[in-house]
Amino acid sequence: MKRDRLLLILYLTAVVAATLVHEPSSLAAALVVLLLLAGHDATRLLRRSLRVILVFNLAVSLGYVLLAWLRGISPWETLLLINLRVLLLTLLTFLFISRVNLFRALDFSPTLSWLLALAYSQALGFQRAHAEFRLALASRCLERPRLIDRYRASAAAAAWFMDRALATARESALALRARGFFDA
Amino acid sequence: MLELTGITHRYDGCLALVDINLRVNSGEKVVLLGANGSGKSTLLKIIAGLITPNGGLYRYKDEAIDARRLKDRALSRRFRREVALLFQNPDAMLFNPTVYDEIAFGPRQLALADVDARVRHWAGVMGLTDKLQQLPFSLSGGEKQKLALAALLAVGPELLLLDEPVSALDPRTTGWLIDFLAELPITVITTTHNLSLAPELGSRALVLSEEHRLLHDGPIEPFLADADKLRAANLVHSHRHRHGALEHRHDHVHDWD
Amino acid sequence: MHLPDGFLSPQTYLPAYGLAAGLWWLAARRLRRTLDAERLPWLAAVTALAFVLMMLALPLPGGSSVHATGVALLAVNFGVWTAFLAISLVLALQALLFGVGGVTALAVNALALGLLGSAAAWLAWRAVQPVHEVLALILAGWVSMVVPAAIIALVLGIQPAIAHDAAGRPLFFPFGLAVTLPAVLIPHALLGLGEGLLTWLGTLTLKRLRLRHAV
Repeated sequence: MKRDRLLLILYLTAVVAATLVHEPSSLAAALVVLLLLAGHDATRLLRRSLRVILVFNLAVSLGYVLLAWLRGISPWETLLLINLRVLLLTLLTFLFISRVNLFRALDFSPTLSWLLALAYSQALGFQRAHAEFRLALASRCLERPRLIDRYRASAAAAAWFMDRALATARESALALRARGFFDA
Repeated sequence: MLELTGITHRYDGCLALVDINLRVNSGEKVVLLGANGSGKSTLLKIIAGLITPNGGLYRYKDEAIDARRLKDRALSRRFRREVALLFQNPDAMLFNPTVYDEIAFGPRQLALADVDARVRHWAGVMGLTDKLQQLPFSLSGGEKQKLALAALLAVGPELLLLDEPVSALDPRTTGWLIDFLAELPITVITTTHNLSLAPELGSRALVLSEEHRLLHDGPIEPFLADADKLRAANLVHSHRHRHGALEHRHDHVHDWD
Repeated sequence: MHLPDGFLSPQTYLPAYGLAAGLWWLAARRLRRTLDAERLPWLAAVTALAFVLMMLALPLPGGSSVHATGVALLAVNFGVWTAFLAISLVLALQALLFGVGGVTALAVNALALGLLGSAAAWLAWRAVQPVHEVLALILAGWVSMVVPAAIIALVLGIQPAIAHDAAGRPLFFPFGLAVTLPAVLIPHALLGLGEGLLTWLGTLTLKRLRLRHAV
């Protein structure tokens, strides 16, 4: 079996396993193993994972401390378990993303792999354009933009994205037809 | 007018600019050259105060500019008024309900008395007088670019930054834009990867290498004659040419974009 | 909103995956029948659109903003099944390529947001459309925000009851329904108004654009 597909299966198994284990010590050990596997990327991936989970986990953790205090129970073991698990799963995903070519892992279904690749490249283009729209508004406003201008800018961006999406759909259908994709 | 010292920037761990040092004086027309992905757009956005570089110092008129300093209202007002950036995709800049409102957007923020006169002047210059009540979205690509330019110039900037302004224009509009910029009495920095148009857009060239470093800073003509530097910047390529039975290979450019 | 990883028990997400897999298969089959040759580029383009709609800001007074979902806009204009597939693909892209959202939560998110959110929006739109077109679109947007929020609040809120240790301490999401329902539903009932606005104005724009592009 191909390397990428094997790693995808391994990753999915590890994800399920991480939700079946409930001892903080095992989860912490798994975290250490992952960081060793990540090698010189370890600090970068760990920092990225922490940044992604920070807000939601902090809100849940603080809420739980309050709840536990009201009920007169100790919150620490639960908090350790939950936060360790979330961190482990997030790090696992980032490690997977950095090591595996998803499109190659999914090539058992050419249609799915091709569809994902097409959608991904268009989504990346849109993501870049979205950042440009935000900067452009900032550059044209002498101070912080007014609410109405922010609405107009969002609306103009949405209209542009819809226009692009429809144009792209048409063009890539024509391109596929030109290559004989639909004749089979 | 502006000075960059040791500017380095990276996006998500990828280098975009490495140790850029340069000065631009008031009134200069500068061309910023480089292959796709060399960091031209990023450099313009740093000069426009939209991106704060990870390292180095950017000074505009002896004032350090970064995201924190631009929170100062007085500085931000002055800087944004004086420095204008034309984005490569003009659609990113247009969000007002009519062409008129689009040009008036900047002057209205300054609460100027002559908003209407400014709008009509710049609409006239750009040939948009008949379209003042139209939706910007409905204009053609070239018209959108002219509208975006009119909207920027109506504020009266002192430094105009243009990101690949000719890459989407037809030949007639390209010629018009080159003449227009030559007459414009303000500082202009223009990016392009089009070598044959570059000498028309300015007399000084800044060239970024594919390693995101400043490869050349000086008059444009010697750079265009330096085959090694052109190849290093990935601005020329070579392939086989066949003339009857003869075949040879040399560096050259294709500038159709 | 959509759920991150690590807060759902396997007792929740594994059955959700089973259900979603069947529905994805069904949706793909329906799409193949109705959209013939252009289905793949069309679906890819709608997916990219769904992706960027989720990045779009609905500005709030005071400089902050929340994200739109575009679920109702997609459901009303492209149909429930296309919306379901496009949103599922977006969630997969986000989880497996951009590293946001969650892999374990993907199926629950796809069912809540992509299927039930779009179905509720489409039904609300169809029911009210004969009475008032604009109201129908705004209602569709509101419903597409509130229904998934309610489902996600329910799924989160039952976690302490179905996944706890011998001492009764939660193993996954630690709050019950009494906390999740109001905490999730109240803000989303307000945000739904912004989504309604997007659905209304977006549908107007899309209709005009589809005439221009003849698609």
